[in-house]
Amino acid sequence: MMLLSLNKIEKSFGSTRAVNDVSITVNQGEFFGLLGPSGCGKTTTLRMIAGLETPDAGSIEFEGRSITNLPAERRGFGMVFQNYALFPHLNVFENVAFGLRARHKSKAEMEQRVAGALELVQLPGYGKRRVDELSGGQQQRVAIARAIAIEPALLLFDEPLSNLDVSLREQTRGELRELVTRLGLTAVYVTHDQEEAFALCDRIAVMVGGKLMQTGQPRELYERPAEISVARFLGRNNFIKSMRLSSSNSSDGEFKTLEGDHTIKFEVNHDDLAPLNKPVVLAIRPEHVRLTAPDTSVTNSFKAQVRQVVFAGATSTVRVDANGLLLEALVLQPNGLQVGQECSVVLAPEHLRLLRNE
Amino acid sequence: MRPRYFLAVLFFLLTSVFFSCRSGSVNSRRLLIYTPHGQDLLRDFVARYKQKYPGAEVQFLDMGSREVLERVRVERNRPQADLWWGAAHTTFQTAADENLLEEFRPSWADKVPEGSYDKQSRWYGTYETPQVIAYNSDAVSAADAPRDWDDVLDPKWRDKVLIRNPNPSDTMRAIFGAMVWRFQKDTGSTDQGYEWLRKLDANVHEYTADGTLLMQKLGRREGLITLWDMPDVRLFKEQKNLPVAYNLPSSGTPVITDGIAIVKGSANQEEAKRFYEFVTTPESLSYAAQKYYRIPVRTDLDRSTLPAWMNEPFTRMPLDWDLLRKQGSDWLRYWDTSIRGRSSKQ
Amino acid sequence: MDHTARKLPVLLLFLVTALVLVYGVLYPNLAVVTTSFQRSGQWTLANYRDVLAQRVVLEAILTSIGLSVFTVALCAFVGVPLAFLFERYDFPGRRLFGALAALPLVLPPLVGTVAFIFLCGESGILARTVQHLLGLETSPWTLRGWPALLLFHTYTMYPFFYVLTGAGLRRVDASLAEAARSLGASRVAVARRVLLPQLTPALIAAALLTFMTSMASFSAPLLFGGNVRVLTLEIFTARQRGDMTIAVTETVILATISLAALVFFQRYEGTRKFVAAALKGATRRREPIKSGGVRVMATLSAIVFSVILVLPVATLILVSFAGDGSWTTQTIPSQYTLGNFRRLFSEPQSYEVFLNSLLMSAIAAVGALAWSFCVVTLLMRRVRSRVLGPGVRRILSLLILIPWALPGTVVAVSIAEAYGQPGSLLGSFVLVGTFWILPVIYFLRFMPLVVRALQASMEQLDPSLDEAARSLGARVWQRFARVTLPLVWPGAVAGTLLAFVIALGEYVASVLVFVPANRPISIAIASELRDFNLGAAAAYGVVLIGIIAISMIVAGKLERWRA
Repeated sequence: MMLLSLNKIEKSFGSTRAVNDVSITVNQGEFFGLLGPSGCGKTTTLRMIAGLETPDAGSIEFEGRSITNLPAERRGFGMVFQNYALFPHLNVFENVAFGLRARHKSKAEMEQRVAGALELVQLPGYGKRRVDELSGGQQQRVAIARAIAIEPALLLFDEPLSNLDVSLREQTRGELRELVTRLGLTAVYVTHDQEEAFALCDRIAVMVGGKLMQTGQPRELYERPAEISVARFLGRNNFIKSMRLSSSNSSDGEFKTLEGDHTIKFEVNHDDLAPLNKPVVLAIRPEHVRLTAPDTSVTNSFKAQVRQVVFAGATSTVRVDANGLLLEALVLQPNGLQVGQECSVVLAPEHLRLLRNE
Repeated sequence: MRPRYFLAVLFFLLTSVFFSCRSGSVNSRRLLIYTPHGQDLLRDFVARYKQKYPGAEVQFLDMGSREVLERVRVERNRPQADLWWGAAHTTFQTAADENLLEEFRPSWADKVPEGSYDKQSRWYGTYETPQVIAYNSDAVSAADAPRDWDDVLDPKWRDKVLIRNPNPSDTMRAIFGAMVWRFQKDTGSTDQGYEWLRKLDANVHEYTADGTLLMQKLGRREGLITLWDMPDVRLFKEQKNLPVAYNLPSSGTPVITDGIAIVKGSANQEEAKRFYEFVTTPESLSYAAQKYYRIPVRTDLDRSTLPAWMNEPFTRMPLDWDLLRKQGSDWLRYWDTSIRGRSSKQ
Repeated sequence: MDHTARKLPVLLLFLVTALVLVYGVLYPNLAVVTTSFQRSGQWTLANYRDVLAQRVVLEAILTSIGLSVFTVALCAFVGVPLAFLFERYDFPGRRLFGALAALPLVLPPLVGTVAFIFLCGESGILARTVQHLLGLETSPWTLRGWPALLLFHTYTMYPFFYVLTGAGLRRVDASLAEAARSLGASRVAVARRVLLPQLTPALIAAALLTFMTSMASFSAPLLFGGNVRVLTLEIFTARQRGDMTIAVTETVILATISLAALVFFQRYEGTRKFVAAALKGATRRREPIKSGGVRVMATLSAIVFSVILVLPVATLILVSFAGDGSWTTQTIPSQYTLGNFRRLFSEPQSYEVFLNSLLMSAIAAVGALAWSFCVVTLLMRRVRSRVLGPGVRRILSLLILIPWALPGTVVAVSIAEAYGQPGSLLGSFVLVGTFWILPVIYFLRFMPLVVRALQASMEQLDPSLDEAARSLGARVWQRFARVTLPLVWPGAVAGTLLAFVIALGEYVASVLVFVPANRPISIAIASELRDFNLGAAAAYGVVLIGIIAISMIVAGKLERWRA
């Protein structure tokens, strides 16, 4: 069921257009991600959802009613800020109780709900502590407790984990997701970390340069990026600049790489995606690039030379040079691969993507 | 749109109502006096006045005579004070010319000498203050002390002379004016007068900010000689126990007339007139003479009721006060920009 | 609909701000400015040509600027290290000395200059002591000219730096400094690269206040400026001579210089916009000095400094017990009496002045605090709006500081002229001759102090705190009362206290417009001085300082108050 929808919203700051024609829908119970590089407009979008900014154009609807101009304090959305924004003059209890006081809850209810919220974030009995006595992780949990204590209709996160160290971040991530699911909340989560977004979110909207590029489930985005910018942002990719050859027929695509002068064959769905004799970009993920013993009989296999082997624990990255075309391959065990060694690279047609080039 | 404007107007109205209520009207039954005569003298006279006229309500604000002028100017559209008691006649004449004073002819109007009252009765003289050469009597013997104006220029007093900053002081303006005028009346030029002031400047140790500081510094020997008014020097000598004494300049001294006037358009004119008359009765004048060293202007007093020193004769310097008042400012400005601190200690 | 509802509070704030500025600053000063551009009814620049053609005036302008620049430098040199010492480190006696460090604040100019003359003057206690010790014929120094002025200015104005830097330091995010230290930055580098940028708003506010106070300084140049000609004295002299047009023209020049400084400082301020991370910045525990030598040095310097600070007040206390006329060539007075104090507390007209001054200063200071919140909220709004663009904000800031940039006499005269009679523009709104004229003038003259202090505090406030409160459902008033107010409270209290304390001793404006119903302390002191009742004047001064000390203790308690 659709809970929140953004319709063609726009926001400019001075002459910079921070958010440009963005439309998003978020469903009830969904953990929705807004992902993009810094400065892409994702935080501005979140702030418009929160009511901290007003869109210049477009509308925001919540449960079917327009909330475009509703002040933040009347939206009832909980928000967790990047720097937590805990009130330094209040103790933990008063921080968590802040929203409840604003709602004039009774003392008993307030105490019960604050205790409950602190319990949920695993900080029971911390109420009397000063916030500046807490560690970063604990402060972060107080911020979450404060946001969920008001039983928000929607929970908004603005890069809440970015100030934590790596191991704490992964642990908190898991707890966060579990907490949101357990409470049956709907969440919008802003991050620039694709791994974090993939791990947390049911659906993700990728924004680049103020525009919404693609919305989908993490796997879908990863495997079928529609845009070169999305592909570039989500994980690593080999981008191969090519030209579609005029000789090939409509369904069977044949491409000439601009570097290395190799011929790549794979099936294209729409002709308009790959106009003849025009440069296009083909993409393939490093994990889909296979390295074999020198052998060019297989489709899309070229001779290459190993340039670099980078060990990274479970996997290794191997950089090869196929007659001027530089490619990256991700291999589990780089046994026997040596720099300078001759080999073959195989680009399986089913993993190749033809990208819209902006 | 509408409620916004409505609220704005409402707010504005509320504010103005609040303030106009608070500003209220002044209590108009009390007599208010502006005076530089000091609170000791004023309290004394107010008490005596109330004794004579029980039920009278009198308030006074004491401040410098120049500050009185400034205030009366500022308040001209809504006068606060009824009576202005005390300032040099030059200041009163300025106020009279600016139409700040009410005409009033006191019962003793014909008992004051020529020049000690305004022709249009806007002020009358009460006390007179001769200017003197004062010195620290511990450090300078009476024999050594300068006897006339030109003696002060003697190089032996270099860095020993204290002078009250003349700009805000009626006394010093009169003295400086007199020094320029006494040459100018003969030669028609201010050059010699300026030269006199330049020589004085060479001897000056410090120009002090006010008369009290001047007396204090003289008493504490920061300087040994000064030019100041006689009643004040006497008061400091006899009541404040400062080691100061004075000589009356032998060639003659400018005598300032200290006056009294009713402020134009004030609320309590009748009460003001009553107080005016009260402080200028022969009894009040001799009381002020005895206790506060004020030399009365009235010529019809029994001189034996006055302290002996007031009856000692001294030479008056005849002065064209109108000319002084008109040109004095220019002379003073020239002194301020081209003489003060520029000629000394080379 | 919702849109209008949200704009309404802002509109009200704007109205309150605009009303005060129009009626308190624009309207009264309009006459001043027009006079300076008019000659016999014609618009002209002739007044300026004439004034600026005088060598003396140019000299005065340069002297005033030079004096102010040196004053700022010296005050920063003294005030900032002291604030660091007392705010960041702990050593024996710190509390006592920390409290004393702001002592010159309690010296109203009138009392302060007199105390200074008694202490450091040519025949003062120090000079006489040195003279006796060295067996000199004459006094070893004179208290006149540049050194005297700079000494007095530094003594009286360094608290601007001390107080504002102290308040700023209390809010600085200590973890930032710790982080920088952990990254291997030296102490000096931490101070320069981390602390300094965070303190910039406080420092600039202090520099600005010092500069403007020094430009408008009057009592000190008058009493011991010697032949140093400053602009305020030129204005005073011109007024005394009766050259009103010249006085007014010079006033406009003085105000222009002060406001130019403001514009200059503001530009610099704008480049350093920063927001301290809200956390861990609220309080900072002082670092105890453990190293024995340094500890002794710190304590020793605190003692020496405290003695210097206390001396003028001690002098005043001494004089307040002196019998009249008992002090001429002696080092200290020879007879002592309780008579001065007995007189003060036995006569109603004596103690009434204290009630008057307390009431008027409190009205002015609280009014200034309330109004400052309106102004600062407007100035700090991050929402872009067409009505309240950066240009309008800059003009607002300028208008607010005009009364501070003008000498007190000018403010008093312009208010009295503007509100001296019922007029068509104002209705029956008359201030002259009422009790209210002094509170209004105190408010106008000293509200810039509160605005600046509050603005400096607000600039250090993390805007996401307000946003967090909004997202938690807190309405405008709840956010103000529960988030903004408690966080800017120390700065606001510091600024208000400053305004209150300075208003308590105000003289130059008061003397022109006070009435029997509101006769303030300073007038009583001046009266006693005129009558050469030095002991009585000093007794008034001592009681005034006592009152101020008590209000500072109360303010210290208030500062720690949390919503």
